[in-house]
Amino acid sequence: MSSRTEMHVSIGGLNLESPVIIASGVWPYEAELWSPERLEGVGALCTKAVSLNGRAGNKGVRVWETPCGMLNSIGLQNGGVRSFLDDYLPLVRGAYRPFLVNLVMESEREVRESIAALAEIPGIPAIELNISCPNVDGDGMAWGISAESAAKAVRIARSEWKGALWVKLTPQSPDLAGVAKAAEAEGADALVCGNTWLGMAMDIKKKRPVFQRVVAGLSGPAVFPLALRTVWQVCGAVKLPVIGCGGVASWEDATAMLLAGASAVEVGSALFTDFDLPRKIVAGLSTYLAEQKIDTVSGLTGLGRHE
Amino acid sequence: MTCGGSAPRDYEAKVAGGRALGDGSGLLAVECEDIASAAEPGQFVMVRPGSCGDPFLGRPLAVAATSGGIFKMLYRVVGRGTELLVSKRQGDSLVVRGPIGRGFFSSRGDMPLPKKVLLAGGSVGAAPLLFAARRLGMAKVAGVSMGVSGRGWEGFAEWLKESFPGVALFSDDGSVGTKGTALDGLPCQLPADTEIWACGPQGMLRALAAKYPEDRARIRVALESRMACGMGGCLGCVIPTARGNRRVCVDGPVFTAEEVLWNEFAD
Repeated sequence: MSSRTEMHVSIGGLNLESPVIIASGVWPYEAELWSPERLEGVGALCTKAVSLNGRAGNKGVRVWETPCGMLNSIGLQNGGVRSFLDDYLPLVRGAYRPFLVNLVMESEREVRESIAALAEIPGIPAIELNISCPNVDGDGMAWGISAESAAKAVRIARSEWKGALWVKLTPQSPDLAGVAKAAEAEGADALVCGNTWLGMAMDIKKKRPVFQRVVAGLSGPAVFPLALRTVWQVCGAVKLPVIGCGGVASWEDATAMLLAGASAVEVGSALFTDFDLPRKIVAGLSTYLAEQKIDTVSGLTGLGRHE
Repeated sequence: MTCGGSAPRDYEAKVAGGRALGDGSGLLAVECEDIASAAEPGQFVMVRPGSCGDPFLGRPLAVAATSGGIFKMLYRVVGRGTELLVSKRQGDSLVVRGPIGRGFFSSRGDMPLPKKVLLAGGSVGAAPLLFAARRLGMAKVAGVSMGVSGRGWEGFAEWLKESFPGVALFSDDGSVGTKGTALDGLPCQLPADTEIWACGPQGMLRALAAKYPEDRARIRVALESRMACGMGGCLGCVIPTARGNRRVCVDGPVFTAEEVLWNEFAD
C-alpha cells in the first residue's frame, strides 16, 4: 500500500492524492462509477468536454479499433454548460477529489460565456482548456496549432477564469514548444500534453473512409511513444508543470512520463479495457519508488533528463 | 443520463468450455460467478481476447445462458478478435467486463410482462433470446422464429432446434429450413397482449419495425453497435432515438422499436 504523502502531487493549483488523472471524454456520468471504491488510485478527473451549447456529436461510425489503439470521432457530444452544471456537477463534486471541467475552446464569445457560467458556481477548482478545436472566427485551424492562436485562446480564458487553468495541447502542432511557451506566457497554470493524433481509416468493403469527417483521433498504447516524445520536448521548453497524456496503459508508461518531466499523467482509452488501471499504476509506482529509494512520486519528475 | 442497472466490473475469468457450431460460430462458456448470477437476458459482456494491448478493445457479446457460476456466449468469427476467442481452450484466461446494459426485463421499468412473447432472431442474435426463453418459461413463449444466411450454418441450425423446440427456421438461400427470413415466421398482425423480442442484424430489426408500424411499442429489440468501452463513457455506440442520442451499451442494448429513429440509424 502506498501512503498518501508518497503519491501526493501539487500541480497548477490542485492538490492530488495520486498523479493519475482520468482524461476527458472517458468517464461517464453513471453514479456508481463516481463512488470512492470505483475511483481508487484516481487523483483527479477531467469531465467530458463541455461547450456553451449542447452538441449532438458526429453521425456515422464513431469508434474504430486499430492495432494497439483506436480512432474516435465522437464530435464533443455534450448537453452544454448549463446541462453540465444542473445535471452532472453534483455527481462530479460527490467524488470528493479535484476535478477539471474540460472546456471546448470555441469562439471567443462562446468561451467567455461558458466560463462566466462556470465562474458563477463556487467550488469548481479548475478548467482544462481544450485547444484542439477549430478557431471558427479565424482560419478554421485548431487553436492549438500555432503559438499565436494558442496565445490568444489562453489569453481569453485567463481573462475570464480566476481558478486553475490547465491547457490541453494538441500534438498536431508543428511548433509544440512554441505553443507551450505561449500558453505559459499567457498565464496557464499547467499544460496537458497532449491529445489524440489525427488519423483515418478506410472501409475497404464500402470503399469509403470509415468516418464521415474522414479524419479521427488516434489514441491507445499505439501513440504512447509519440506522446512521450512530445512530453519530453514540452518539458524542455517550459517551467510549468506538464501532465503526460497519450497511450498510458501501465505503471511503467506512467513512470516513463514522469521521468521525462511530467508531474502527473492522464489515462484515457486504457480505462475502456481496465477499470482498475489507476489503482494498478499507483501500486506499481509505489513499488518502484521503494526499489529506487525515492521518497515521493514527485521526486521522479524529470529524473530522466539528468545526465 | 444514468443507467438503470449497476455499473459493470472487470473480471479475469477462466474459459469453462466451448462448442463449435459450424461456419465459424460457436458457444463459449466462461466461469464468472458475479456475471453469471447478475446477468439478465439482453445484457452483454465485453470480452477481451488479446493481451498486451492488441487487439485493444473488448468484443461485445450477449449472454446466452447462465448456470452454476458459468455464463455462455454465442459468437461468430468476424475478425481477428473473435478468431482469438475461438482459439481459447478450457482453463485459458479471459478478461471480461460485465454484465452490461438494460436487458429485456429491466428495460421495461415498471411495465408488466405481456401474456405472450414471440422471439425473432438472426444468426447469433439467438443468444439473448435463448436466455430470455429460459427466463420467461416456454409457456409464455408464443413462438420462435430464427433466420440464418444458409449453407454452412447447418450445425448452428441443429443447435437452434435443440435449444428452441418447435423453432421456425429460415435461411436466405433455402438450404436450411425454409427459404426466407425470421420475419416470415411471424404473424401478419401482432396479437393483443403479445410482444416481439428480437435480436439480429440491423437490417432485420429495421424490417421488423417496418412490418408492424402500429405496434412498435410492443417490439423490443436488442441492438448491436460498434463500441469501445461498454461503460457508457466513450459515446461511440450511440443511436438516434426520439429522445436524442442514446448509448446502446448502458441506455440499451434493449430498446422498443418505437424509440429508435430507424431512418437516421445508419448501418
